[in-house]
Amino acid sequence: MNKRAVAAGAAALAMALSVTACGGDSGSSGDKNTIKLVAADYGDKKSNASKIYWDSVVKDFEKQNKDVKVEVQVINWNDIDKQVKTMIQSGNVPDLLQTGGYADKVADDLLYKADDVLSPKTKKNLIPSFAKAGEVDGTQYGIPWVSSTRVLFYNKEVFKKAGIKNPPKTWDELAETAEKIKKSKAADTPYALPLGPEEAQGESMIWELGNGGGYTDSGGKYTLDSKKNVETFNWLQDNLVKPGLTYSNPASTDRKTAFADFAAGKAGMLNGHPSLVQMAKAGKVDYGVTTIPGKNGPLKTTLGVADWMMAFKDGGKQEQIKKFLDFVYAKKMLKFDEMYNFMPVTNDALETMQSNGKHKDLQPFFDELDGARFYPLGDPAWDIVSAEMKKTGGKAAKEDPKKILGDLQKKAEEAAANTK
Amino acid sequence: MSLKAPPSPASRSRGRGGQSTRPARRASGGLARLGPLPWIAPVVLLILAVVVWPIVELIRTSFQNISISGVVRGSAGTDKYEKLFDESGFGHVIGYTVLWTVVVVSVTMLVSLGLAQLFNQRFPGRSVTRWALIAPWAASVLMTAIGFKWMLNQTAGVLNTVLLDLGIIDKSEDWLGSQSTAWPWMMFVAVFVSLPFTTYTLLAGLQTIPGDVYEAARIDGAGPWQTYRSITLPLLRPAFLVGVVINLINVFNSFPIIWAMTQGGPGSDTSTTTVFMYKLKETDIAESAAMSVVNFAMVVVLVLLFLKVSRWNEED
Repeated sequence: MNKRAVAAGAAALAMALSVTACGGDSGSSGDKNTIKLVAADYGDKKSNASKIYWDSVVKDFEKQNKDVKVEVQVINWNDIDKQVKTMIQSGNVPDLLQTGGYADKVADDLLYKADDVLSPKTKKNLIPSFAKAGEVDGTQYGIPWVSSTRVLFYNKEVFKKAGIKNPPKTWDELAETAEKIKKSKAADTPYALPLGPEEAQGESMIWELGNGGGYTDSGGKYTLDSKKNVETFNWLQDNLVKPGLTYSNPASTDRKTAFADFAAGKAGMLNGHPSLVQMAKAGKVDYGVTTIPGKNGPLKTTLGVADWMMAFKDGGKQEQIKKFLDFVYAKKMLKFDEMYNFMPVTNDALETMQSNGKHKDLQPFFDELDGARFYPLGDPAWDIVSAEMKKTGGKAAKEDPKKILGDLQKKAEEAAANTK
Repeated sequence: MSLKAPPSPASRSRGRGGQSTRPARRASGGLARLGPLPWIAPVVLLILAVVVWPIVELIRTSFQNISISGVVRGSAGTDKYEKLFDESGFGHVIGYTVLWTVVVVSVTMLVSLGLAQLFNQRFPGRSVTRWALIAPWAASVLMTAIGFKWMLNQTAGVLNTVLLDLGIIDKSEDWLGSQSTAWPWMMFVAVFVSLPFTTYTLLAGLQTIPGDVYEAARIDGAGPWQTYRSITLPLLRPAFLVGVVINLINVFNSFPIIWAMTQGGPGSDTSTTTVFMYKLKETDIAESAAMSVVNFAMVVVLVLLFLKVSRWNEED
């Protein structure tokens, strides 16, 4: 009986221990020849999910390189940053990551330099302005993946109904145009102003650029609550939000809502990137595009956005990563850009897209490329600043901009001090 | 010796009367000294592993400095707590968490009392309606919340369409876009999903009250309100208390309703502490852990307070 008790106790103990042991083993992929790639999903429906693209890329790559295997995990935009963070924290670091920002990982010394994982030929093929945006303190870590510039979209039919001949060139003209659309009831939302968490930092920057403002000064210090930026939001409040010429709660309206509204013919104008071209066409909206209006005239520098590819040092798979990246950037770039109507980041893809006549609708975006201004992407604190802006930045369109932007500035300064 | 081989049944039965019982008894006396420990050890270990260890880990995280990409950079002391209490929305979030919990729990309890009373009556179709009451409970809370989110949507929502068609409003409202309208709607949904469980708890309580007590009251000439107050309510207390405790904890920790309907936004205007904690995770995981610790402390205090009050009731 005594022994039985001991045995039972031991068995129960072993059981309990095995339960605790479950959490201990973080699967370290020992196989040097398997690259783990985590990528964001650019698709908006099943038929154009990024998984489809990556699967076909991997298939072709593995056909040519029998010794290297690639595991792909595609995560949607809302979750990718959180999930990657968890991966890093638990030591389950991917080898390649394709997402929105890279500099925070440089600050933690997690990434290979671009030179280490790209052949000189591939590196030379990158459009210089984007390659430059991938630099932290003069060394390139971020490898541009796709890019876009922003222009003003307007619904021609709505304009016709409201008796508007020309698209607006200044803020005042824009407000006037919106007023006309409202009066004639040509569209539910005359100007769609999405300042919700999805991309508050994008729409804000476009408007601030229009007033000569922006996120940093020439020395790279944050100036989120500069006089010009506060002025910008005051103007938005007084001329668009309060008169009811846009959403009643811009801070809780996401970009995807605005895009969907425009594609459904419910919005008169909005700032958009190339994906909206496809959406508008699918919605049979007769749209026009023009340079985004600034306070006193069309913007000379519009917002340029790039998404990034980065390679992690953790697995030590430099050679395998290099092989894969060279393959993708040389042969599969154009396919991705054409799949989503994005703008390329490599010279050869840009040339092809500009010359093959299939992408006339992208020409206005290409035209803006030279003057594009980026977020302070190379600043290691930017990812925190951008996340804070997504959370609360939009409130500046309804509450006191000075207070909201002041809070953000305080957080940005703290973050900058912490990452140095 | 007894560890080497199990005693045969024969030797055991022989031992019961004879001398050989001595060593066995001494050994079992040793085991007895451990008391019930060997038997509850597995459970204790399990609790250590799945309850205590995460809490320790949580508290440890809240004192660490973790970069946004997820790398631990050393100790942060109490910095993260200071940062948390300094957040411009913190006071607002705490205030609304209290309001949210109090309003949802008390409305739920009140409505459930009525509903339970109703379902305790005999009426045609009672079993059908009792089944129907389970529906909001059986449906996933997340699904219910998403359903309401779309019903309340500004451009596509059915509520705006109905109100517009009836001429009650002349411009469609963005119900979930600002906190003044979002809070009441979310509270409504929270009450809606809490009702079935609470009603069933109270209904079960009602059915344990023996009929002869009511009969006695009727004979003594008590009116319906008096009967309800001095018989039904006191006898319902145990069920009522269970309902309150479980609802308090559920509602306080409620995440899916708020997350699905407003994501706690704009800013943190419609966040409770749980949602706020989740949002902090995007920028600073250690600060988020600090929020969790505070949250945990609040739940503990809430429960202790409640236990105290209910025990006081018992003695009374």
